[in-house]
Amino acid sequence: MAEPTASGETLVNVSDLKMHFPIYKGLFRRKVGDVKAVDGLSFDIRRGETLGLVGESGCGKSTTGRAVLRLYDPTHGTVSFEGTDVAHLSLEELRKIRPRMQMIFQDPQACLNPRMTVGAIIAEPLIEHESMSKEEREDRVVDLLNAVGLNPAYINRYPHEFSGGQRQRIGIARALALDPDFIVCDEPIAALDVSIQAQVVNLLEDLQKERGLTYLFISHDLSMVRHIADRVAVMYLGKIMELAPRETLFSDPQHPYTKALLSAVPVADPKIEATRERTILKGDVPSPSNPPAGCVFCTRCPIAEKKCFTVAPEWRELNPDQFVACHLA
Amino acid sequence: MLTYTIRRLLLAIPTLLFISFVIFAVIKLSPSDPTANLPLTIPPEVREKIRESLGFNEPFIVQFFLWLKQLVVTEPKVWMNNAFGTEFEIGQRMISYQTRSPVLDLIVQRIPQTLWVVGTSYVVGVLIAVPIGIISAYKQYSVFDQIGTFIAMIGFSVPTFFTGVLMILFFSVNLGWFPSIYDTTHVVEDWSSFLFQVKQMIMPTMVLALFNAAQISRYMRSSMLDNLTQDYVRTARAKGLTEKTVVLVHVLRNSMIPVVTVIALNLPSVFGGALITEQVFQVNGLGQLLILAIQGGDVPTVQTVTVIFAVLIVLFNLIADVLYGVLDPRIRYD
Amino acid sequence: MSKLKTLLLATAASAVALTGAFAQERGRDGEVKIIYWQAPSILNPYLSGGTKDIESASMVVEPLARFNQDGELVPYLVDSIPTLENGGITADNKTVTWKITDGIKWSDGTPFTSADVAFTAEYCRHPEGGCAQSAKFDGIDKIETPDPLTVIIKYSEPKYVPYSAFVGGQSPIIQKAQFQECLGAKAPECTDANFGPIGTGPFVVTSFKPNDVITMKANENYREAGKPAFATVTFKGGGSAEASGRAVMETGEFDYGWNLQLAPSVIQEMAKGGKGTPISAFGTLIERIEMNMTDPSPSLPEGERATAKHPHPILSDEKVRRALSMAIDRPLLVEIGYGQAGRPACNLVNAPIAYKSDNTGCLVQDIEGAKKLLDEAGWAPGGDGIREKDGKKLKLSYQTSTNAVRQDFQAIIKQNWKDIGVDTELRNLSGSVFFGGDPASPDTFQKFYADVEMYANNFDGTDPEQYLTQYTCDKAPRPETGWQGENINRYCSAEYDKLAVELGRTGDPAKRQALAKKMNDMLTKDSMTIVPLVDRGRVSAHANSLGGVVLNTWDSELWNVADWHRKK
Repeated sequence: MAEPTASGETLVNVSDLKMHFPIYKGLFRRKVGDVKAVDGLSFDIRRGETLGLVGESGCGKSTTGRAVLRLYDPTHGTVSFEGTDVAHLSLEELRKIRPRMQMIFQDPQACLNPRMTVGAIIAEPLIEHESMSKEEREDRVVDLLNAVGLNPAYINRYPHEFSGGQRQRIGIARALALDPDFIVCDEPIAALDVSIQAQVVNLLEDLQKERGLTYLFISHDLSMVRHIADRVAVMYLGKIMELAPRETLFSDPQHPYTKALLSAVPVADPKIEATRERTILKGDVPSPSNPPAGCVFCTRCPIAEKKCFTVAPEWRELNPDQFVACHLA
Repeated sequence: MLTYTIRRLLLAIPTLLFISFVIFAVIKLSPSDPTANLPLTIPPEVREKIRESLGFNEPFIVQFFLWLKQLVVTEPKVWMNNAFGTEFEIGQRMISYQTRSPVLDLIVQRIPQTLWVVGTSYVVGVLIAVPIGIISAYKQYSVFDQIGTFIAMIGFSVPTFFTGVLMILFFSVNLGWFPSIYDTTHVVEDWSSFLFQVKQMIMPTMVLALFNAAQISRYMRSSMLDNLTQDYVRTARAKGLTEKTVVLVHVLRNSMIPVVTVIALNLPSVFGGALITEQVFQVNGLGQLLILAIQGGDVPTVQTVTVIFAVLIVLFNLIADVLYGVLDPRIRYD
Repeated sequence: MSKLKTLLLATAASAVALTGAFAQERGRDGEVKIIYWQAPSILNPYLSGGTKDIESASMVVEPLARFNQDGELVPYLVDSIPTLENGGITADNKTVTWKITDGIKWSDGTPFTSADVAFTAEYCRHPEGGCAQSAKFDGIDKIETPDPLTVIIKYSEPKYVPYSAFVGGQSPIIQKAQFQECLGAKAPECTDANFGPIGTGPFVVTSFKPNDVITMKANENYREAGKPAFATVTFKGGGSAEASGRAVMETGEFDYGWNLQLAPSVIQEMAKGGKGTPISAFGTLIERIEMNMTDPSPSLPEGERATAKHPHPILSDEKVRRALSMAIDRPLLVEIGYGQAGRPACNLVNAPIAYKSDNTGCLVQDIEGAKKLLDEAGWAPGGDGIREKDGKKLKLSYQTSTNAVRQDFQAIIKQNWKDIGVDTELRNLSGSVFFGGDPASPDTFQKFYADVEMYANNFDGTDPEQYLTQYTCDKAPRPETGWQGENINRYCSAEYDKLAVELGRTGDPAKRQALAKKMNDMLTKDSMTIVPLVDRGRVSAHANSLGGVVLNTWDSELWNVADWHRKK
């Protein structure tokens, strides 16, 4: 379990971030609406911390991660990285700031260019951003491979020649190549075998300690988030429902959606497990192209009131450091 | 890779023998007569004599093996004699019914025209198609993409005999810019004769290039689209690479894998010539040779040209497979 | 000043002198470009027989005599045409003597002699050579060459019209020195000779790309001074009649386009291009319907189907055949299919004029008359408008080769016949199958597994004897002959056979003409076995700047290419 290393200084500030994907239909491909994948997010990430971002599939977690790194152009809002608004930088300026913010992807196979060797993949950003001699670069690549626990002898192999866990290590080495401050980990372990998951998570933690990294750790696995994150944000249908320090969130959740999620996590003790009360959510997640009016969770909320169906709840700090978007919390 | 290639080549021999036999059977079983196109003033007894002198009435199997022997024994000997001055004994060469001259000589004579015009059009087609495919995919659903899709649809669905005649009417008849009939005797020896060659090649080349480009640009576009949404492209962007590097190095190189194979697989059709286009512009290449041979019931020519196409198809299939292995490190033949 | 004037005058004078000299000079008009939409495959007409090959070769190799545009014989390599009057033909009609003009040279400079003429016959009559023109030499017993300029042809039987061997584009003289190693089975091995025969004609082959293009240059040894006017020829082959017409009349890329088989309206439209002019002429080609005199019913066993054993159940009745002919609207067929290149015809032998029977009865369509005839024949109108007799419908199958004009004709004639209560089932077959002689194919025109069929035929030269004798009983295709034979409709009349024999024994032109007319009438207006439709002419086009073109359907179209010149 990671010690709270956060310095309290804000590294990334996300403010009212919206990412809408237009829907085109018909003969002339007219725009008929939007998929509101991310619809008004505001949060901070502090230097040195790990912010966990959890939610069901399709709730907009990955989109958030990509939008924060400006892999998508956000529809609205700002993402400021050390005070620079990444969301509105010119492409050239953006390119210069890229080395400082990196990403680790869910599918370690797909994220590596199949026609490049491991060495080339890791070295490419170095060529682009650093003026190094060939030897220096090679040394750096070897260092990075060592750092992520890969045999440097594999430098000339292609990604398909590695196992899933090894590929994820390559992905991490690649992300570390330019010595970033901030890494978005987009479900980095979801595609791995359970036995490998722990290794990769531990590697991420070790690297964080060694290099003072800041993570946005996206996952649908509550127990993994509980393990790695300092603070946790819970997302539902493009919005954050609740954001709180890990301990607070797991011991004293305030939002009915958080409660329902937590009630679904099995407990290792069979006695407690037998008496565990589960809140089963009814119905399906509404379509993000047509979210409900009012609170987005109202259609499935076990305690929803009339107000919830008409007025969108305010994002408020209920307790110090604990933010909730719910009328009834 | 080498053993794989050799094994494939060895396997191709029985395949090709079988193909030639089937082609021969199909040609011989279909009603055709080398004297069918002669004027009716030539009496039936004379026609029978002509057929006899051509060996047309020999038993089927005899004709097939004679043809095979001529193709794999006699003709290589002739070639050796010409190339190295050897003096092999040469039997009866394979003779075309229509021209009473060796079939292989006819084919060799036709190859330059076909390569010049149809080959150039293929190269031009690829050169047009690749950038269009890239831009169309990169700016999917943009105006450029819509226009590109529209033009590709036209190139794909409007037959070349239509576009060809349209171009002739416009550029030859109305404007008088380009000749409507290709001059196969033209020799390029200086700047002005080169210009003439370009002028006479423009129309047939463009008609065919449009058709080829339509096809390849669609492959290029969809392959690019497949790759543009891949995570490794995001990785490349996250690395802070320029958009140019991302698209032209990462996406393009991966997208070219299927496109290169399609290009290789379609190459034999270059030799087949564009039958129709050659006819429209009178670029008398291999395609026109084949058409006339079919019309004239010229069995040896039809058979040989078709079998050469079959050989090319088998060969380019192999080349496409090998290229795939070269381009895509995930594929290994061992 | 005066010096300058003198100089100028001198220059002008020499310029005049030069142009004057040019007018006489061989090759003064540069290049002429000819396009044939069927590409020549070989330049040895004896090994091909195709029109495109014969005509392209006719610029290089020449016969002793040619037919002119009026079908009259013109001496080419000889002093005169042998006749009974000038003693060139002996009284017994068995010996013909040709006197070669002195001084004629092959294009390689060697003298042209009687040995070359005799060799040509030897070449074509070789049993293993597969010579396409061997019929031209039928009946020759031997050829004697007493001196280099005399050729004496001896026939075993009297030959009353001995103008087939060595006459016309199909039978030119080839050089003995070039072809003597190419006899019989060796003929195809002489590719160089077959692609570039040495000739006496106005041009010499410089390169030949089979099925594509021929280039030629003026023959320096051509017998007439100052001819040909053109120094070089490009003879392009291939494409379509449409492309040829366009290249001559619209874009002006070519000077002469052969045989523009196009819809009349298309030719008119092209002529508006202003670069060239369509020209037409008529010969002996007749588009006709042949009535099957035998029963082609598929219910008959193979070997008896369409043979004389089973007369046709419907068409054996002369009244039905006549009614079918009367119902056809020939002027409409001409208008739609041929325009200026066609005229309605009722004769099988419609030319030359001396042999043309006075037969115009079919020119006007007569639906009422046709109906009356069918009524008389016992075919009564049925409920659905189709006539019936003894419970059997009057239904005919009608086949021809695949060709846009022929399919138009089928549609029009089907409608004409429907108007008199005859139902028609149309069929068209690829030309190479229909005209191919494959005895195993049920779809050849010789097998005639249909009730009526349509095609065109003509005869070479100006004498119809061989053409008319095709319709004797023994020439009917049948299983015993391997389905070969020219009497396609299986017409069989003892009287006709007798006339055919008589024609072969008659030398007097007037009597021959009377006999031929009689035979023509027996086949057409008397029996309606052959129903002629259209006398098909030839349309070609030449550039407006090309002079000297005289379209000739009796010989090669390029017969007088030596006279072609560029108009100033």
